[in-house]
Amino acid sequence: MLDRFLSKESQRKRALKKVGDGVLHDYLSTPMVNKNTVCEDLIIVSLDLETTGLDPKKDKILSYGFVEVSHMTVRLAHSSHQLISIEEEIPEESAVIHQITDDQAATGIPLEEAMPILLRQLAGKVMLVHYASIEQNFLDAACRKLYGAPFVIPIIDTLVLARRLFERRNHTFQPGNLRLFNLRPQYNLPNYKAHNALSDAVATAELFLAMATDMFPNPSQCQLRRFITQ
Amino acid sequence: MEIELIEIRDFLAERPPFDALTEEQLDLLPKQLEIRYLRRNSAFPPEGTTGNYLYILRSGAVELLDDDENLVEKLGEGGIYTTQCQLIDISRASQGVATEDTLLYVMSCKTLQNLRDSEPSFNEHFSESMRDRLKQAVKTLKVSNNNNPLEILTGEIKGLLQKAPVTADVESSIREIALVMSAKNISSMMLMKDEQLVGMITDRDLRKRCVAAGVSPDAPVSSIMTADLTTVQEDTLIIQALMIMTKLRVHHLPVMRGDKVVGMVTATDLARHQSTNSAFFAADIRKAETLDTLASISERLPELQYQLASSSATALHIGDAISSLTDSITSRLIELAQMELGPAPVPYVWLSGGSQARREQTSHSDQDNALLISDEMRPEHAAYFEELAKRVCDGLNACGYIYCPGDAMAMNPKWRQTLQIWKKYFNTWINKPEPMALMLSSIFFDLRPVHGEFELFEELQTEILGKTRGNGIFTAYMAANALQHRPPLGFFRTFVLIHGGAHDDTFDIKHRGIVPITDIARVFALDRGLTQVNTTNRLRAAAETPILSQEMGENLIDALEFIASMRINHQAEQIGNGIDADNYMSPDELSDLERRHLRDAFRVIQDMQETLENRYQGGRFR
Repeated sequence: MLDRFLSKESQRKRALKKVGDGVLHDYLSTPMVNKNTVCEDLIIVSLDLETTGLDPKKDKILSYGFVEVSHMTVRLAHSSHQLISIEEEIPEESAVIHQITDDQAATGIPLEEAMPILLRQLAGKVMLVHYASIEQNFLDAACRKLYGAPFVIPIIDTLVLARRLFERRNHTFQPGNLRLFNLRPQYNLPNYKAHNALSDAVATAELFLAMATDMFPNPSQCQLRRFITQ
Repeated sequence: MEIELIEIRDFLAERPPFDALTEEQLDLLPKQLEIRYLRRNSAFPPEGTTGNYLYILRSGAVELLDDDENLVEKLGEGGIYTTQCQLIDISRASQGVATEDTLLYVMSCKTLQNLRDSEPSFNEHFSESMRDRLKQAVKTLKVSNNNNPLEILTGEIKGLLQKAPVTADVESSIREIALVMSAKNISSMMLMKDEQLVGMITDRDLRKRCVAAGVSPDAPVSSIMTADLTTVQEDTLIIQALMIMTKLRVHHLPVMRGDKVVGMVTATDLARHQSTNSAFFAADIRKAETLDTLASISERLPELQYQLASSSATALHIGDAISSLTDSITSRLIELAQMELGPAPVPYVWLSGGSQARREQTSHSDQDNALLISDEMRPEHAAYFEELAKRVCDGLNACGYIYCPGDAMAMNPKWRQTLQIWKKYFNTWINKPEPMALMLSSIFFDLRPVHGEFELFEELQTEILGKTRGNGIFTAYMAANALQHRPPLGFFRTFVLIHGGAHDDTFDIKHRGIVPITDIARVFALDRGLTQVNTTNRLRAAAETPILSQEMGENLIDALEFIASMRINHQAEQIGNGIDADNYMSPDELSDLERRHLRDAFRVIQDMQETLENRYQGGRFR
C-alpha cells in the first residue's frame, strides 16, 4: 500500500529488486519516460482488455487489443488483437458484453504466452486506457502470479481526464457521460459499431488525440505530466 | 479468420474508390493506415508530417483553398485528398483548413501506388488526366443496350446494315446490272465511278425507265439511273432516315462513312424494324389527320423520354430523338394547316430555335420558332403567313410545347419576316450587341430549318456567319454572356457548394451545367463561322480549328454528355414517379461516384470559362 505514495520510477526500482530473471525483469529494467516529454515525442500504447468479470483475483483476461500512438498519430500497423485461452467456461453475463464465445476463446493463446508479448510492447512507454483500474489491476495480478512482482507503468486514463474536464468546467455529469462511446461525439469522433479489445483501444487512442489537441492547442505545452493520472 | 479493425475496413469498403478493391485487399488495408485528429481551425494537411500521404476524412470537414484563398473544394465524411500523391496536381488547392474537428485516415503514397499497380479498376479513380477521368465518367453511363425495343429511336443506321454494299461500275449495261440483281436477289444497286458513288438503280427503275420506256437493255445503265442521290451517314439515327424517306418519297438510301459507301438501307429494312417497335412515333405523326391525334401522340413523349433514359440511351441520342419528333410534329402541323389554307403564295421556311434547333430537346420544352419568308412576299401575303403561324404555334401549344414566355415564336409578327428584314435584324444584333440581343442569342443564334425552302435559311446563315466570323467585338460580348452561368464548385454533404463558399440545397443542372457549355460552343461557332448548331457538333468542329484544342473539345463533349445524362435520369425518375420533370437536382440524389464525376465535369467548364475570360477580355475594347 505504501507504493501508492511513491513515484512510478521508485516503484519500478523497488519492484526490480524483488523480481527474478525473466521477462518482467527485462521490462522493469527499462527506464521510464521522462514526465516532461512533449506529446509529439511520446510513444503511447493504447490498450484494452476483455475479462470474464471485474475482480482480478478470480476473473480472467479473455483478450487484449493494443495500438501504438507516436507523433500524435495512431499507427494501425502497430496494432494487435489476441484472444487468450482460459480453463473454465466463460460466464454468460460477461459474454453478453465482450461477445467472445468459449469456442473462440479456445483458439487463443495461454496467458503465459500473452504476457511476455504485452510486456515487451509496453516497456519504456506510456499505457493509455479508458478506466484504467481494469487493465492496471489485471496486468498487476498476472505479473504477481506469473513472475512474483508487481506491474508498474505510467498511465493516461481518458476517463479520469474527462472527469477532470467536467469538474473544471463545473458541469454536472452522470457516470454514463464518462463512458468511452458517450465522450467521443463531443469531439466529433465517429460512432464505432463493432466492439472488441482492439477497436476499443483504437477508439480510446482517437479520444486521447482529440482531448490532448483540445486541451493544448499549442503542441509545445502538451507534455506527459499534464496527463499522467496514476 | 477474424478481420481486425473491421470498422475501418467496412467504412472504406462501401466508398469509391475503395469499393473497387478485392475483399483480400480490403482486409489488409486498415493495418496500412494511420489515424490523425485535427482540431477545428487547424491547418490541413496536418503540419509536422514527413512524406506524402493520401488523406481520407472519417469525420469532420475540410475546406481547400487556392493561392488567393478562394474556396475550391470542401471535403466531408468519406472525402479524399489526393494531391500529395498525384504526379500532376489536378486540383488548384494550395492550402486547407479543418472547419470542424476532423478525424483522418492517412495512407502513404507508396501504399496507394501498390494498390493502384495491382488493381486496374481502383487505379482508374486516380487518373491524373482529366481526359481519362471524363472518359471514365461517360463509361459509367453506358450500360448494356442490347435488345432495346426502342432502338429505332436511338439506334443508328449502321446497326441495320447486314451485307456488304453491292456495287457495279457505272459503265455496265442495263442487262449486266439486271443479271447481278437477279443473281443476288436484291432490289437495288449502287453504281460507282473511280470508287465514288455516282448513281443508283432499283427494280422500279428497270421496270419504268427501261422496259416500259422501251430502252434497250444494252444501253449503259447510266442512262436510266438516278444520279441525284440523297445519302445518309452511317451514324444517322434510324428515325431520321425514316423521316428522310417519307419526306422524299424514296425507298432506298445509300449509307456512307465519310465519302465511302458502306451499304444501303431500304424502307423494308425499316418496316421490319417497325413491326418490333410499338412506339413508332414518327410514322404515327406522319399519318395523323387531326390536331387531336397529334396531341395524343405528343402526350406520350415524356413516357418515351423515360423509356429512353431507362434503356440507357445517350443524352446526345435522346436529345436527337426528341427533337426529331418535335420536327415531325411541326412539319405535320404545317401540312395540316396547308391542307386548308392551300400552298404558300411565296417560298418560306419554318425555323426552329433554341434546344430544338440544337437537337438537344427534352420532352415538352417551350416552343421557340420563327418564319423566314422569301423577299418575293407582297403585303397581301401577310394574312396567309399570319394564319399559318398561328395554327402551327397553337398546335404546338396544344401538343404540350407551351408558348414561349419571351414570345420568340412565328406567331409574333416580329419573328415572321422576309429574308431582307431578318438580315437587318442580325446586322443590328451583331453590330450593337445589346442586352436584348444577347438574351435572344440562345434562341436566334441557334436556328435550324424544319420545313419549307431550306435554301432561304442557308442564305441567312451565310450572311450571319459572314458577319460574326472573326468579329472581335461581337464575340467578346457573346463570351461575356457565356460567362454568366457558372457551374457549382462541387458538393458538401447535402449541399451544393457555389463560388464564395455559399451553400444551396439544390442546383439547376440546366443553367449551371448544360447552358454554360452550350454558350461556350455558340461563341466558338460564331467566331469561326461554323454552320453546326448542335453543341457537340459545334465543339467537334471548333476542335478542328485553332480556337479549341482537341483535348479540351473532347473534355467538353464528355462533360456535356455526363451532365445531360444526369439531367435526363433525374427527369426520368420524376416522370416515373408521376411528377412534372424539372431541372433542380439535390445532392441527396447523387452517389459518391456521380458527385465526383460531376465535379470533374464542372471543373472542365470552369477551366474553359477562365480561358474564355482571358481570351476575349481585351476584344471588347479593340
